[in-house]
Amino acid sequence: MSFPILSLLILTPIIGALTLSLSSSAQLKNKTIFLSGLWITTGEFLLSLLLPIFYDKTKNGYQFTEYHTWFDKFDINYYVGVDGVSIPLILLTTFLVPICLLCSLNSIQNRAKEFVIYFLLLESFIIGVFVSIDLVIFYVFFEAVLIPMFLIIGIWGGENRLYATFKFFLYTLAGSVLMLLAIIYIISKVKSGNIELISDFTFDQQIELILFLCFFASFAVKVPMFPFHTWLPDAHVQAPTSGSVILAGVLLKLGAYGFIRLSLPFFEYASIYFQPMIFALSCVAIVYTSIVALRQLDMKKMIAYSSVAHMGFVTIGIFTLTQDGINGAYFQMISHGIVSAALFLIVGVVYERHHTRMISDYSGVTNVMPKYSFFFMIFMLSSVGLPGTSGFVGEFLVIMSTISVSVYLTFFTAIGVILGASYMLLLYKNVNFGDLKSDIKQLADLSNIEIFYFSCLAFLTMLLGIYPKLLFEMINKSISMSIL
Amino acid sequence: MINFYQLIPEIFILALILITLCFGLLNKDRSIAINTIGFFILTLILINFGKDFYISTDLSLNTINLFVLSKIILSIGSIVFILLSKRPLKNENLYRYEYILFILFAILGSFVLISSDNFLTAFIGLELQSLSLYLMAAFNTKNLKSNEAGIKYFSLGALSSGFLLFGISMIYYDTGSFYMQNLNNFTTISEIGLSLVLISLFFKVSAAPFHIWTPDVYEGSPTISTLFFASLPKFASLIFLFRVYQDLNISGIQSLNYIFQIVCAISLLVGVYGAITQKVIKRLLAFSSINHIGFMLLGIMSYQFMSEGTLFFYLIIYLITTFGIFAVLLNLRTVEGEFTKISQLNGLRFTSNSKSISMLVFFFSLAGIPPFAGFFAKFFILSASITDGFFFLSIVAVLSSVIAAFYYLTIIKNMFFNKSEIEPLDDNNKIGKVIFISFGLIITLFFFYPDPLINLVDSLFK
Repeated sequence: MSFPILSLLILTPIIGALTLSLSSSAQLKNKTIFLSGLWITTGEFLLSLLLPIFYDKTKNGYQFTEYHTWFDKFDINYYVGVDGVSIPLILLTTFLVPICLLCSLNSIQNRAKEFVIYFLLLESFIIGVFVSIDLVIFYVFFEAVLIPMFLIIGIWGGENRLYATFKFFLYTLAGSVLMLLAIIYIISKVKSGNIELISDFTFDQQIELILFLCFFASFAVKVPMFPFHTWLPDAHVQAPTSGSVILAGVLLKLGAYGFIRLSLPFFEYASIYFQPMIFALSCVAIVYTSIVALRQLDMKKMIAYSSVAHMGFVTIGIFTLTQDGINGAYFQMISHGIVSAALFLIVGVVYERHHTRMISDYSGVTNVMPKYSFFFMIFMLSSVGLPGTSGFVGEFLVIMSTISVSVYLTFFTAIGVILGASYMLLLYKNVNFGDLKSDIKQLADLSNIEIFYFSCLAFLTMLLGIYPKLLFEMINKSISMSIL
Repeated sequence: MINFYQLIPEIFILALILITLCFGLLNKDRSIAINTIGFFILTLILINFGKDFYISTDLSLNTINLFVLSKIILSIGSIVFILLSKRPLKNENLYRYEYILFILFAILGSFVLISSDNFLTAFIGLELQSLSLYLMAAFNTKNLKSNEAGIKYFSLGALSSGFLLFGISMIYYDTGSFYMQNLNNFTTISEIGLSLVLISLFFKVSAAPFHIWTPDVYEGSPTISTLFFASLPKFASLIFLFRVYQDLNISGIQSLNYIFQIVCAISLLVGVYGAITQKVIKRLLAFSSINHIGFMLLGIMSYQFMSEGTLFFYLIIYLITTFGIFAVLLNLRTVEGEFTKISQLNGLRFTSNSKSISMLVFFFSLAGIPPFAGFFAKFFILSASITDGFFFLSIVAVLSSVIAAFYYLTIIKNMFFNKSEIEPLDDNNKIGKVIFISFGLIITLFFFYPDPLINLVDSLFK
């Protein structure tokens, strides 16, 4: 296909951001700015819908590829393309960004123009990560994502935002530079940055282990896995609602996507060698962070810790190295992207009205905000993994695939499911039921805009839960390629 | 018989000096115009006929290209610098035509230094350069700090010149020659002599642990002089260091090789360690330059990947960034004078779009974060060092750049997140503004389309 749809996907938000930045801000109202941002991102979403429509599921390899030489001298090229693994994540991104803008309509009052610009840039960089099939541009986009996110948390975050945003930036950067070294080494060996070529290349076993660890450092921080997860609660708590949504919804998936796209095909030997380590770390993550989440007083922090636990399922699923495991992990990624984004929006709704995130400040919300409680329940149950919601399918597949590896692993993941149910139900109970506190009596129920985006998210959750084949059709073939 | 033909660039500058001396007495403004035009002509001459000057010599094509390219960079840099210098000098009441003369002498020294293959000529070039720099540091005679900077720079610089001379005499004692190409088989004495020469050069490029003068001199000198120290003479000394490393085949001598690697590692670490806690902009830039010197030494040592290309790519990007940052700093003033503290940058985002965004570009580029050209500068240095097997140094380098990202981010935080506390004056320095905006654009463009620069450095050095 000659139509450069992927470049268009990357460029549309950038062009939008440039146009916005050139317009003089004094004359524009905040609402106009947000509306123009919404138009751009909605257009982008519609554009990205072309991908699954025209994607040929029967073929192997990348489609819609575009190839431009970037450097004459080195084999570093602008080489983009998509396969089944990247398309759902691109759709998730383009779907969540308009929602992020919608939910900030009222909460972001100062410097609205910059806010929209950073979000547009963020969107295009994230899409860039998912479409690149050359290591160097992959790294470039992977790293560039940090800049707008740094500014979003730093400018519109909570009271302790500087600490959070520095921690976020430096943690991620420290992991990434090790990956950069590994990338440089690989390119100097293979003489090319093309992912397909590198997958065919076999490294020395000792070196492969080191390279794997370098990539692991970067992705483990992004996912985040157990000892590297401490930036996440800070970043989530301090970020504005929209920042948390995009962070939980998409940025965490970059790490898992990196594991599937790069680590597995590049380092077959090392992936098997380090399997026990990753299982151990993920089990610790699931059990430990679930217990930590149980004792949180802050709603956002609780959901942040639950994210770490849920991403533990993803890493376990990926490193079972079976088709079912990775399918499940991938499904869990998408599902978590929708559900945790929705949960952060849920927190954002009450925070915007009541200006506190403490669980103890809420009680009996269901009396004044019945529609809110209804949506809260859907997403809470989906996060717990109730059959019929998207959370169930991923968890089920991952647990099923662990049996083939070790029963103990199954045991720990199952414990994670139980703990997950307990803290989510506890959260729901404490916030929604009980006596109606006097100071929340005047809270208004969901506005039409909020109902609109919550129903979109709820619809998607149910759709994926009831008809998961929709997603599996897309990813099956590509995933089977990556574990061979 | 001396071949005057290859001295044409130097003679040209000497002529410029004489013209400036004569006319400067009559009209200061004219000396800036004359020198801008003069260096412009020199650049054109070098671009068109540069190679012809050296054709009659028995130098290799690589070396000739090295000479010509470095001299072109130096003379373009001089144009930018001279254009930039007028307004800040006027603001500080330092607008005297001698300043231009110092620049000319320093550039002349740098030219001599770059193309000398004889230790004595190199010494003369280095001294010519350094003496002008001492004077430039102390140029603000009414200011105590400036005087202090001048004295410090002079006394320590004199010490390092002593090292250099001592080293040269040891080499002469051992081999009976001042020519670099005559040094082939080393004895212990000439190794010691050469290490003394290296120490002196490390001092000039302010590589740790010979960097102690840098923060003080950077802070005390007038900002415009700081820009000069940070850019052109350092560039020339670095090129000479590179030549010493290449021509004397230091990579083959174990002991000197160790010195190089250790200095590189220490520079990388001391630079970031020192910069973290700084509160003064120029001190922070001093330490950050030490960190970057570490990267450049890594580039000098790694030869296989793109030969001189990696080093030159890094140097060009670094020079552009340095000029850009200082052009912004020189444009920032309060009623009391120039900006000195980092906290004075608070809220720059709200007072000036162009300055804050240019600074964002420059600092992210220094930190090596895409999408800015600094990323590829670091990327190529690391590619080269990994190709040559310097794994440990590469790891030190990337980790140091993570720490470096912290203090660059702090500056960006101050500009973008904090509220402004002071009223900056609108300086309306058109030339400065044009320079930093265009350099910011160049830094961004070189990321997306680096081919011209890469092809240039690549075609010159085969």
